[in-house]
Amino acid sequence: MKKTGIFLCLLTVALLTNAQILTREDSLANGMTMTGKNTVLSGYGQVKVNYDLRQETGEASLTRNVLFVGHRFNDKIVFFSEMELENAKIGGGAASGELSMEQLFLKIDINRSMYLVTGLFIPRLGIINENHLPTTFNGNDRPFVETFVIPSTWREIGVGLYGQPRSIPGFNYSVAVVNGLNAGRFQFGTGIREGRFEGNRATASNIAITASALYYYKDFRFQVSGYYGGSSGLPKIEADSLQLQSGLFGTPVSLGEANIQYHSNGWQFKALASAVSLPQAFSINRAYASNTPEMITGAYAELGYNLMYLGKNKPKQNLTLFCRYETLNLNYRLPVNGINDDFQKKQYIVTGLSYLPMHGVSFKLDFVYSHTGNYNKELYVVNPYTTQRPFYQDNSYVNLGFGYSF
Amino acid sequence: MERRDFIKNSCKACLGVACSSVLVTLLESCASLPVYKTKAVNGVMSVPVEQFATTNTVIASTTQLDYDVLVIKKDDGTYKSLLMRCSHQDQPLTATASGLFCAAHGSSFDLDGNVTKEPASTPLVSYKTIVETQLINIYIK
Repeated sequence: MKKTGIFLCLLTVALLTNAQILTREDSLANGMTMTGKNTVLSGYGQVKVNYDLRQETGEASLTRNVLFVGHRFNDKIVFFSEMELENAKIGGGAASGELSMEQLFLKIDINRSMYLVTGLFIPRLGIINENHLPTTFNGNDRPFVETFVIPSTWREIGVGLYGQPRSIPGFNYSVAVVNGLNAGRFQFGTGIREGRFEGNRATASNIAITASALYYYKDFRFQVSGYYGGSSGLPKIEADSLQLQSGLFGTPVSLGEANIQYHSNGWQFKALASAVSLPQAFSINRAYASNTPEMITGAYAELGYNLMYLGKNKPKQNLTLFCRYETLNLNYRLPVNGINDDFQKKQYIVTGLSYLPMHGVSFKLDFVYSHTGNYNKELYVVNPYTTQRPFYQDNSYVNLGFGYSF
Repeated sequence: MERRDFIKNSCKACLGVACSSVLVTLLESCASLPVYKTKAVNGVMSVPVEQFATTNTVIASTTQLDYDVLVIKKDDGTYKSLLMRCSHQDQPLTATASGLFCAAHGSSFDLDGNVTKEPASTPLVSYKTIVETQLINIYIK
């Protein structure tokens, strides 16, 4: 038994050595680009406790854990993948989590200024979509605008070209073609979020084009990006019967976004505005009775300061005090067959502290105040349960958690 | 597509192309970082000191490395060389006169190679850099 154990240990060590599994630090030390093949393991995640001050109830959850595996095949082709488990558990319980591939793509270098990605990847739309590691944003939750207006993290299958022309230092661009959305799954109150395929048997008969332009100037980062794609990948006969426009860009959805970020001497500021347009929302509602709006809008601005800068130049730790204001309207404009709900006009103030004792670990405490319009009773439960909670337009929450990335 | 829609869409496309051209021209007018192409001999890249006559940052490029190297002239007259590869997920970095930036995930680094914004957690790879007879020699091995 003892011999078997020793043999298994030796076998494991041998296999690991052969597979060249390295941490990021190891890969740097070994000069990943100079020595050829390498496999890298990495990951990130976050845990959160939420307390509802109005209802006096709390919830604790392992929000997400993501395992990253990357492999360099040669000096031109690299494999990236991220597998995400949300809420710790899938199956075996009523309130289940989700296991999904967040990304899985090949990156192919064309030259030093351009590369292609192909597979399941996250197009450059907004801030959080690409930069969603919990140690990089303030607050336990991602901004609401970048959850319901820009449905981060929004990944689809396709091919993208990324570049940074040398003649324009600081300028970056991206253009990508990905599969489109599914208008049949749009849900009122969640924007276009439920229409994403996320690599799960997407219809490829409708596609989307996304593009972005990004420019660094001194301590500023400016970005604009857009998305235009079809949301009806049905066979023509089926689309015709539902009176929906089919084809590559049939029943179109477009999204536009602009953002600015600033970082200097402990100060950080970012602002983002975005709008989603669904010009054929009338047809979508006629086909699916989903009360889809014609336009969705949202914006936010956040200011933060690293308190460790008080009395110190270039501190190693980070204790950021921040405040963010968000406003979004998930039924900004409705077609004639849509029903207005003022509850979808939402405002949030999020304020709190993020403490990073070192790179890669973040402890977070924040307070969230939310204000909504009054809800439209005709849209919700006709015969309420006896235990239904009363509706309040003003609510507040306290979140405590931590995030990590390595 | 109707004739009116076709004309409208064509005009929009032309306007977009025109605006993009103006924007690119404006951006190109910004001071650009000079790129010096060189070959590494016995693991040493060389950049003439005269390249720094009007700038403090030069991008050195050689086919023997998969990424460019940013060479920085410090205030004390010494030089520092940083591999323009993000320490987070090996993306190529964008260099400006104030730092290095990763467009993919938002990491940023100062001109000493230190992380100024996550998700990167480790500094950039730097190479020993010595001035010898009017040449800045960068030891990449």
